[in-house]
Amino acid sequence: MAVDVNTGGTCSKACHPIVGMISRDILPVLPNRIREIITELPGEILEQIEEIRLRQNKPLLLGLARQDTMVTALGHPTGVTEFSYVVTEKDMGRAVQLVSGSSVYAFEEEIKNGFITIKGGHRVGISGKVLVDRGKVKTIRNITGLNIRIAREVTGAADRVLPYLIDPVTREFHHTLIVSPPRCGKTTLLRDIVRQLSNGVPCLDFRGCTVGVVDERSEIAGCLNGEPQKDIGMRTDVLDGCPKAEGMMMLIRAMGPQVIAADEIGRQEDAAAMEEALNAGIKVLTTAHGRDREEISLRPVLRYIMEQGIFERMVILGRSKGVGAVEDIIDLAGNKSLVR
Amino acid sequence: MIKLIGVFLTLAACGNMGLTWARVYEKRPQQLTSVEAALQLLETEIIYAATPLPEAMEQVALKCDPETAGLFKNTARELNKMEGITAGEAWGRAVDAFFPGTAWNERDAHILKRFGASLGASDREDQAKHLQMARSQLKLATHQAEAISRKNSTVFKYLGFLGGLLLVLILY
Repeated sequence: MAVDVNTGGTCSKACHPIVGMISRDILPVLPNRIREIITELPGEILEQIEEIRLRQNKPLLLGLARQDTMVTALGHPTGVTEFSYVVTEKDMGRAVQLVSGSSVYAFEEEIKNGFITIKGGHRVGISGKVLVDRGKVKTIRNITGLNIRIAREVTGAADRVLPYLIDPVTREFHHTLIVSPPRCGKTTLLRDIVRQLSNGVPCLDFRGCTVGVVDERSEIAGCLNGEPQKDIGMRTDVLDGCPKAEGMMMLIRAMGPQVIAADEIGRQEDAAAMEEALNAGIKVLTTAHGRDREEISLRPVLRYIMEQGIFERMVILGRSKGVGAVEDIIDLAGNKSLVR
Repeated sequence: MIKLIGVFLTLAACGNMGLTWARVYEKRPQQLTSVEAALQLLETEIIYAATPLPEAMEQVALKCDPETAGLFKNTARELNKMEGITAGEAWGRAVDAFFPGTAWNERDAHILKRFGASLGASDREDQAKHLQMARSQLKLATHQAEAISRKNSTVFKYLGFLGGLLLVLILY
């Protein structure tokens, strides 16, 4: 279905890949007035957008790489609350309907989890009045907050780290843990590693291998009705919305993965499932929240995993050199940094 | 002889006119029943299958009475344009476009439009409530339409024929 919503926009604006993605995936789910504002934004702001936040009767906020900004009704960034465009109740209602394809009822499960995945694999976080039934979240009624998170696919994000993660002699992938504070490109890196492992890395003489992804939060593959919206490679199987520990076991049983990738480990059962994968001779690729090695070892489950010596490589990401910059890659077996 | 043919033609024409008027009255309850049945189909799609609305509309259009299919087909088309309108607005547009070709009155269109306001905007339970409300209102309207139709269609049938007879008697 061809959707042409890029009404304004000069060519130079429309030609940037992020801008193209926004007009293809994001604009159709925005109410018309906000659509116009986003189309009118200057190109350099548009390229930086990471989040679009809609809160009822509050200014429309754009989350950029380093800070956030309000915008005027004409699409100029502004720091003054009085000049900013305020999201009306009507805008909110429309946005909710558009995000869900006019079918809020079809997304009950997703709403329970707090977000909806839209076309293109972008996630829309939801807040509002939560209805609870017997201690469990039933649904969110009166949705008053939406956070549209623009998922960037950075093909080639893993180019710099892959040489350290693949053994030059045996051509095998090392067990890898990616450590990073939030919003530093952890998932983006994980996704690109998965894609490259799955498709193969000719320059490292690495032939593609079967990768199983347990995508508990639908973040890695950004599945819509089970179909990955992101490019995660041709030899990749995805269990979307599946609890990590259970998912790993499911993959081991019959999908025969050579590498299992999962986001954000940290629970007791995750560790057990990882050991199971290890015993089956499967390589593990996963991520954890944290700033450095010390911070990781403060968390009991992660410390246990580290003490077991499961992981061979640790990639540490940070924001000091820009989003997604690799701060360090540690060889955990030899206990030395590989890049410094 | 020619006079007799004239009498016959006048009677036939007036009688037919009466029958046509009567049919308009008979059409309304029929059409309302078929819309109500279509809403029931929509309810199944929404409540049991949780089909996304554009697809649900298309499904209903395929399954329901061909006479009302246009209403649902139009809604699906409006929604698929992705113009940033809500399901309620798409439904409203479809009702407006469909209304002139039907025997509905303003009140029937109003019931449908009011139902549209909540279409697709809430969870299943809430959708079921609104669908049921719209259906019960349509049912009530159907009953009223039937009562009116029973009364008026007979009246118009006779009126056409008797009017013709009167004309014949005056002119003969």
